[in-house]
Amino acid sequence: METLSHDIVIVGAGMAGLRAAIAAAQFDTKIDVAVISKVYPVRSHSVCAQGGTAALLREGDSHDLHSWDTVKGSDFLADQDVVEFFVKKAPEEIIALDHWGLPWSRTEDGTINQRPFGGHSFPRACFAADMTGFHEMHTLDGKAKTFDNIEFYDEWFVTSLLVQGQSVAGLTALELRTGEMAVIQAKAIIMATGGYARVYEFTTFSHTATGDGMAMAYRAGLPLKDMEFIQFHPTGMVPSGILITGGARGEGGYLVNADGERFMKRYAPEKMELAPRDIVSRAETTEIQEGRGLEGPYGSYIALDLRHIGKAKIDERLPLIRDVATKLSGVDPVEEPIPVRPAAHYSMGGIHGNMRTETPASGFFVAGECACLNVHGANRLGTNSTSDCLVFGAVAGEEAAKYARSHDFQEPSREKVAAEEKRVFDGILGSEGDETVPIIRDSLRHIMSQHVWVFRSGDGLSKALREAKKLKERFANIRIEDREKQFNTDLVGALQLDFTLDLCEVTIAGALARTESRGAHTRLDYSKRDDESWLKHTLAYCTKDGPRLEYVPVTITKWPPAARAY
Amino acid sequence: MNSQVEKTIEFQIRRFSPHQNRCYTSTFGVPARKGMTLLDAFMFIKDNFDGTFAFRHSCRMGVCGSCGVMVNGKPMLACYTQVLHLNSDRLIIEPLQHLPVIKDLVVDLDPFFDTYSKIRNVLIRPQEALRRLEEFIQSPSNLKKYWDLSLCIKCSICYSACPAVLDDKFLGPATYAANYRFISDSRDEGADERLKAMADNIWQCTSCNSCTLFCPKEIRCASSIVDERGLLVETGEIPKTAKEVLTSAVRYRNPMGTHPSKRMDWARDQEVKTFPSTTKADVLCFIGCAPSFDPRSQEIARSMVSVFNSLDVDFATLGNEEHCSGDHILRLGEKGLFEILAEHNISTFRKFDAPRIVTLCPHCFNTFKNDEPYRNERFDVQHYTEFLAEAVDNGRLKPAKKVNQKVTYHDPCFLGKRNNIYEAPRKVLRAIESLELLELERTRENSFCCGGGAGRTWTEDSVPDKRPSVARVKEALKLDVEVIATACPFCVTTLEDAAKVLDVEDKIVVKDLLELLRQAL
Repeated sequence: METLSHDIVIVGAGMAGLRAAIAAAQFDTKIDVAVISKVYPVRSHSVCAQGGTAALLREGDSHDLHSWDTVKGSDFLADQDVVEFFVKKAPEEIIALDHWGLPWSRTEDGTINQRPFGGHSFPRACFAADMTGFHEMHTLDGKAKTFDNIEFYDEWFVTSLLVQGQSVAGLTALELRTGEMAVIQAKAIIMATGGYARVYEFTTFSHTATGDGMAMAYRAGLPLKDMEFIQFHPTGMVPSGILITGGARGEGGYLVNADGERFMKRYAPEKMELAPRDIVSRAETTEIQEGRGLEGPYGSYIALDLRHIGKAKIDERLPLIRDVATKLSGVDPVEEPIPVRPAAHYSMGGIHGNMRTETPASGFFVAGECACLNVHGANRLGTNSTSDCLVFGAVAGEEAAKYARSHDFQEPSREKVAAEEKRVFDGILGSEGDETVPIIRDSLRHIMSQHVWVFRSGDGLSKALREAKKLKERFANIRIEDREKQFNTDLVGALQLDFTLDLCEVTIAGALARTESRGAHTRLDYSKRDDESWLKHTLAYCTKDGPRLEYVPVTITKWPPAARAY
Repeated sequence: MNSQVEKTIEFQIRRFSPHQNRCYTSTFGVPARKGMTLLDAFMFIKDNFDGTFAFRHSCRMGVCGSCGVMVNGKPMLACYTQVLHLNSDRLIIEPLQHLPVIKDLVVDLDPFFDTYSKIRNVLIRPQEALRRLEEFIQSPSNLKKYWDLSLCIKCSICYSACPAVLDDKFLGPATYAANYRFISDSRDEGADERLKAMADNIWQCTSCNSCTLFCPKEIRCASSIVDERGLLVETGEIPKTAKEVLTSAVRYRNPMGTHPSKRMDWARDQEVKTFPSTTKADVLCFIGCAPSFDPRSQEIARSMVSVFNSLDVDFATLGNEEHCSGDHILRLGEKGLFEILAEHNISTFRKFDAPRIVTLCPHCFNTFKNDEPYRNERFDVQHYTEFLAEAVDNGRLKPAKKVNQKVTYHDPCFLGKRNNIYEAPRKVLRAIESLELLELERTRENSFCCGGGAGRTWTEDSVPDKRPSVARVKEALKLDVEVIATACPFCVTTLEDAAKVLDVEDKIVVKDLLELLRQAL
């Protein structure tokens, strides 16, 4: 097997990965950085981010205000020291992207424009129409390609992380074109592989968002944190789940039930449609469950009405969603409301890390959605995720560069590599079972959609956990149809499914254990937030028998937990 | 929660197994529902019929650019196309063109992405400006100047549609559009460097407009290439051959380098009425520079006289007062010169009393119809194929002789892709008895450019196997036809050269439709 080596290897070429690569390469031009991704960088899911990126730019806003909004939005599960660090770093990222060429939408005087967004008490979402993530990605990609010390491994699928004696040695990866496995040795590794919302049927996420990096870290012995907190976005377009940006409400869009009522007045009288996502998604679900949803060929839905915003403003501020809604749902938002429902959107949880993006394994750093650095707590505010990717991508790049300068390569363990080769080629590619990827994948999605959705219950979660474990057993008996090595998308599908089975188990176990309702985690059987028992982060460690849960405290600096009304 | 099945659509998928080094076709019947995209159908096939089927996909909302494929000859995004909107019960699905196939619908994108390394996809500003932690100021109107160009998702569909990329020197439509996006950005100060990057390679574009027609984001790549050439023309940093064309158009009012007094030489042995001795006719025939001066193309003009006379058409030409229409000049980037030529022609048209202008060349036709200042005049202008198709319709054009030949028709881009005229030339060909008309694999909207637009017949050519014309003649040879008919003097020139290069002149000849028609009179 070929062994390659780079000082720093970044897994994932989305927003956090590219930002990390730039930061590392800029920090020390002698450091050799590799970015490895299962897709070409601009195909990453980050291009789907639409509404904006939160950052303080103008008078009237303050670091404390952005922090407070984030902490309150998190239902007080965010670590406040991390939040304060995060909001201070966000503005420089906006400026950096401006300097690299991002076409930020502008005010009449030519400064960067900002729009209001759910849960933010100041219009601080910098945006590029409704294609903010897309432009951020293309800008970062353009910048990253200017460095001679960044090498890209496009369409390589990382299969495992090699952690030896509490530090990273490298990873194993398949070059998709040839199907051959290689070992890539590294002094430091940054995981930036994004989220896993594709474990749901109705999701805003790309098909490739399967949380591979989280699962690899978990299997390598690192804890996953707060995985029970999954965000449901209030406006997933029916029937596809395609994201309709929160910016549509930021620009003044209404959510309306079958009675033509702006029902948010009963759930968040002050903020209305601009309440945080957990609250709006629960409100929508309640409306539908109580029979006030509109009925269509794809089931009940809520109407997102933008008509009063007018064609001119829709075309200027929301051109992508107009095009997408028209082309894919046959609904022109200038003429009629868009049918929406809550859709799985974001994982607040992820690989356990601190504000320097460090993890329990030395030399291993995490950034973006695959990481849980305690910024978003139990519920992330819209536009804070792209800020998170940029801020902590940059931090991870610098921290990894510092680490790589003062550490040497470790020899990757031959046993581990041999075991991984066996797992991938014998255990999956060559497996002669009778189970198929689509059946197990769809069953898993069904379980998650049934029992681990907006409202949860102990019974449902227990059932989900049993069924998810059964699916894991069934997966051992998999058979994939494509037996050729070259560009085997069937094999990739199986590897991704294998990863998601672990992630779902952790998510369900964490949700079952957490007997309270906080942020996006709502238990029908424990409907109140319980700060006495649950003001703490869940850590899940991988064991043979499933996840072992531990808990660590939340850091409070300025804002003691309080009632959360909007 | 699915909508009901509307009908079953047959998917014929052209596949490739790298392991077996084998091309084959798989056929699947997919139950199509309202709202189902091509990508949904691919996933349905993979899940239910054949797990080995390989294709790329990710965002399923038209922003990640992963899923470009050819569908019934046209490149498009699978996730952004609804199956039932294609109005076809059978869909032929192929990998994108011009990129090596890795497996099934997965192509090697490196040749496409590598072109971006030739330009800088980041603002160019002095270091000190970048060090200040301050936003740059840009007005909404300045943002608007490049916003549309910034929407490129790098799906490579334009690359797949582009004839010029056969020569790897050419960077491809998306890359030039990206370069122009930064040139047009008021924050950027790197125009010189950006122009330099393309000074010796942008000239391969033929202005066929395929990139723009197929772009899922409706980005006007083709016109940004023209705008970039305009900037290069201003700097004077253009290839010698292009410079010669422009100089000749300044000096002689034609790009051919021939003295303008020879403009009517083609008609020396014919009786053709000309301006200014004639100032009124039913049809003002605009000959164009190639049929006026180029010995081979003069045959087209002479054929026109025979055909028009047989129809008793009362026509005249502008004689030596006809100046180059300027189409090629405009697309080479010399807008100022184009305007001078246009103003002359417009003022001469005004002096001539004719209800209708008929052109021999699709390039003249296109510019009269679509480019300012001509467009503002709203002339009643037809390409001769439309004029003759009318004559077929009203029974006036009935060729007497049979033409016992197998013929294919190559769509000129400036007639087809730019003006949607596909049926008229075919109607005229079908009016010729015994002529067997066979369609090329890439035809009508999917047609492949001959490589002769935007001054390409006079500027430096690629080596033969990188010429679009050679690819096109090879495509025609597969049909086993004797004649490639077309309706454009530039297509005739390029395709005839390609036949020479391929040494197949004894097997296949290239004719303008007028020449075939004269044969049948």
